[in-house]
Amino acid sequence: MIPKDSATESTPGSDDANGLAEVYGFLALCMRYPDPAFLDQEFLVTFQDLLHSLDRDSQARELGTWLQQDNNPLETLQIEYTRLFINAIPHVIAPPYGSIYVGGAGSLQGKLTEETRDFYRQCGFDLADETEPADHIMHELEFLAQLAREGRLEKTEEFLRRLFRPWFEQFYQRVHNEAGHPFYKVSVDLIDFFTKEEP
Amino acid sequence: MAINLTRRNFLKTASLAAASVPLSKVVAKAETGVVKTPLIPPGSFKDTKTAVGGICEMCFWRCQLVGKVRDGRLVKLEGNPKSIDNGTAICARGNAGIKLLYDPDRLKYPLKNVGKRGAPKWKRISWEEALNECASKLKGIVDKYGPHGLAMFPHGASAKYPMHFFEKTVGTPNVSEASFFQCRGIRDTAYVATIGTAPGENVDMPNAKVIMLLGGHFGENVHVSHLKRYLKGLENGAKLIVVDPRFSASAGKADIWVKIKPGTDTAFLLAIMNYLIQNDKYDKKFVEEHGEGFETMAEGISEWTLEKAAAICDVPASQIKEVADLLAANAPNVSIHPGRHVSWYGNDFQRERSLACLTGVLGAYGVKGGFVKPKGPKGFGKVSWPHGEHEGENLKEIAGKYPFAPPGTPTELIRDAALSGDPYPIKGCVIWGQNPIQTIPNQQRTIRMLKQMDFVMCVDVMPTDITMFADILLPECSYLERYDYIKKGTQWNFADKHQQYVSARMPLVDPGFERKDGVWITNEIARRMGYGDKIPVQSQEEMVDKILAGAGLSIAKLKAEDGIHIQPGKDPYGISEDFTVNFANEDLEDEGFPAIPTYIPVEEPPAGYMRLLYGRAPVHTFNRTQNNVWLHAAMPENPVWVNDKVAKRLGLRDGDRVSFVNQDGVKSRTTTTVKVTPGIREDAVYMYHGFGSMNPELTVGYNQGVDDQSLITKLAVDPETGCSGMRNNFVRLVKAS
Repeated sequence: MIPKDSATESTPGSDDANGLAEVYGFLALCMRYPDPAFLDQEFLVTFQDLLHSLDRDSQARELGTWLQQDNNPLETLQIEYTRLFINAIPHVIAPPYGSIYVGGAGSLQGKLTEETRDFYRQCGFDLADETEPADHIMHELEFLAQLAREGRLEKTEEFLRRLFRPWFEQFYQRVHNEAGHPFYKVSVDLIDFFTKEEP
Repeated sequence: MAINLTRRNFLKTASLAAASVPLSKVVAKAETGVVKTPLIPPGSFKDTKTAVGGICEMCFWRCQLVGKVRDGRLVKLEGNPKSIDNGTAICARGNAGIKLLYDPDRLKYPLKNVGKRGAPKWKRISWEEALNECASKLKGIVDKYGPHGLAMFPHGASAKYPMHFFEKTVGTPNVSEASFFQCRGIRDTAYVATIGTAPGENVDMPNAKVIMLLGGHFGENVHVSHLKRYLKGLENGAKLIVVDPRFSASAGKADIWVKIKPGTDTAFLLAIMNYLIQNDKYDKKFVEEHGEGFETMAEGISEWTLEKAAAICDVPASQIKEVADLLAANAPNVSIHPGRHVSWYGNDFQRERSLACLTGVLGAYGVKGGFVKPKGPKGFGKVSWPHGEHEGENLKEIAGKYPFAPPGTPTELIRDAALSGDPYPIKGCVIWGQNPIQTIPNQQRTIRMLKQMDFVMCVDVMPTDITMFADILLPECSYLERYDYIKKGTQWNFADKHQQYVSARMPLVDPGFERKDGVWITNEIARRMGYGDKIPVQSQEEMVDKILAGAGLSIAKLKAEDGIHIQPGKDPYGISEDFTVNFANEDLEDEGFPAIPTYIPVEEPPAGYMRLLYGRAPVHTFNRTQNNVWLHAAMPENPVWVNDKVAKRLGLRDGDRVSFVNQDGVKSRTTTTVKVTPGIREDAVYMYHGFGSMNPELTVGYNQGVDDQSLITKLAVDPETGCSGMRNNFVRLVKAS
């Protein structure tokens, strides 16, 4: 555990907290089922810009090449999302729910799901609806965005350490190794980068 | 602070500031799923609430449940303490319902196959798109080929409503239920032909002096109140006769175990009846008052001496006599169990007729310990789709076959017609909760049938073998998330105070993801196909309330009564004056079948092969539970029982792994372990059914154990009913290297 560094405390509206909120919000959308309501040309261009600003030029180029070659990028992503996260032959690659990996004996709605939702509530947040469980990676990133937006970076750290990283690392490996598409590979790379605790 | 320097620096750089403007713009296009709420103190939502009205469907006995629910999550299932059926007891499968509910492999969203049928590439689509596509494709087929261009394979309580829509309103006669054509249909029609009513499992075992099971393996086949009746009977001192080629769990408790040669049961039963008649050990008074055609039967079966049957059944004549004498000595208080899954050898109608006739010979109808139908609650309302104007063109009528078929059409006739186009093409297929790949013999023909369809729609809770062949795959609420089935009956032991109960399945938790109930799905498709004005109820709740209203009940009333309404019952014993046992049945004769119960020999195993027998496991319900984590842990595969002498000859040891080849050269896809035992005949092997799914979407159950159904390629069609007998296939074992 790294000692808390007061120099890095943030206040609402500070650049780093706001920036982090937007990044988490963006990554949450990357982990949401691709819907034309948000996943449009602008989204994909922004994704490439973000990669350039992170000095990930080769990944940005990879996305660019795909976009040039694919007549229907939205459908491509929908099929890949379904394969990776919903249902697939031979099998779904990485169900995006924490409880599958930790504390749930391979089931949905395990102990981790409950702890995750409790954490949201104790921070003054909750799910807008019950369609997906609290430990869907998309919700966890949305929650992190909400916390960051309020400048509560310490809480984001606590959440990441206690409830997010323990399962995300397994999830990340599966997607990273088996994603057939740069979009998801790059997305989980970025999520890893923005959630990783480093010495 | 754990955000590393690189990231922190990055966040502070101008480059992010530049990027963050479009980022925020992009992010603002979608609503967040995590929203600000008033602060909730820790520990809120932690009260575990009891949800009532659950009715299990891990198997089709359907025990009454309550759910322990915490913060919207089902954490435990228990028997409903108010139940006078299963009571507080539920079985291992019932407990494991939670693992089905929260199985990550479960279907969550409508899926469209953008790959090939059988090798699907799924794409999640909206309900709107899915329903439009299903309706337009199905309507297109009806317009082009007529309603009989559709086939439907339904199974389970939730499939009844859509089945009636397609059968009655759309008008396809091509409906086939596995529960009839691969399970109990033969039993029902054979008893109807004999005593005018389907038997259920209505033998009064708790109060019987003798219980006879033919193929029934209670303890491996677990139905809670059914087992209570059986065990109470044993506890009360009933003698137990078990006729089975295998030393089953029930055989282990038996006073007499008849290690019969498979397929010869009718010969055994005929010899018992003949012996009882010849030796004046039958119930003359009953037969005179209620028998029809008794003399004809008596004469017709007179050739069946104990010795003749002994030679055919490969059991000692003295043992058949012992069984007959034990039954006679305790008649009429004997339970001749009608069985449940009875489609075995293609001669099963005759065996079931024999069981019903033997019950009559012993006078065991309506008496303590005999065949007794409970007097359950009455007066329920009906919900049904209206009949359209179409004329029925049922395949069994066109073929002039199977006049004693259960309701619907024999599955094989539908498959034959679809594959040949004769007498008409079948180009659309609706599969609702059934997995015909693991229920009907000859999987390759089923797959070819599916491949020739213009459109295949599946509705299920889980991916199964057959869902791989769907064009559109729709996710249904499980039995823990919906309203439908009305469970009614009486207390399980007729010796107890007579009571009746009524309950209706209610959801214990809300459906997650985008799962929908069968009434909603059917109505939405019906509307889009142009049948909106025919819809009988608008919701699953309305359906259940309409049915309950006839009995003066409602969902609200049942909820207020903890999920189960109990009312005074009636004494079930006695039979009406006009109750008749048709020992000889002229209707059968008119259709070209034997009027009296008749033994029809079955094919023998070729040299080097053994008959493949299968049955139920206590912790699985056929293929439906193979992906359940808890049940898989309890029984991950289905070892094959091999006789110890045979094993020695084949050089097999307990625990060896083997694959199988059947008489048609079909090889098993997987292997399983060998269980070497003296408790099975030398001419047969045995395994539990419902393992080794070919669908890799089943993370847990895929290729675990051997799919016995894959080895059942040869059909044995029961000539009276058209049901598929599945124990006339033969295998040899190949030791896996």
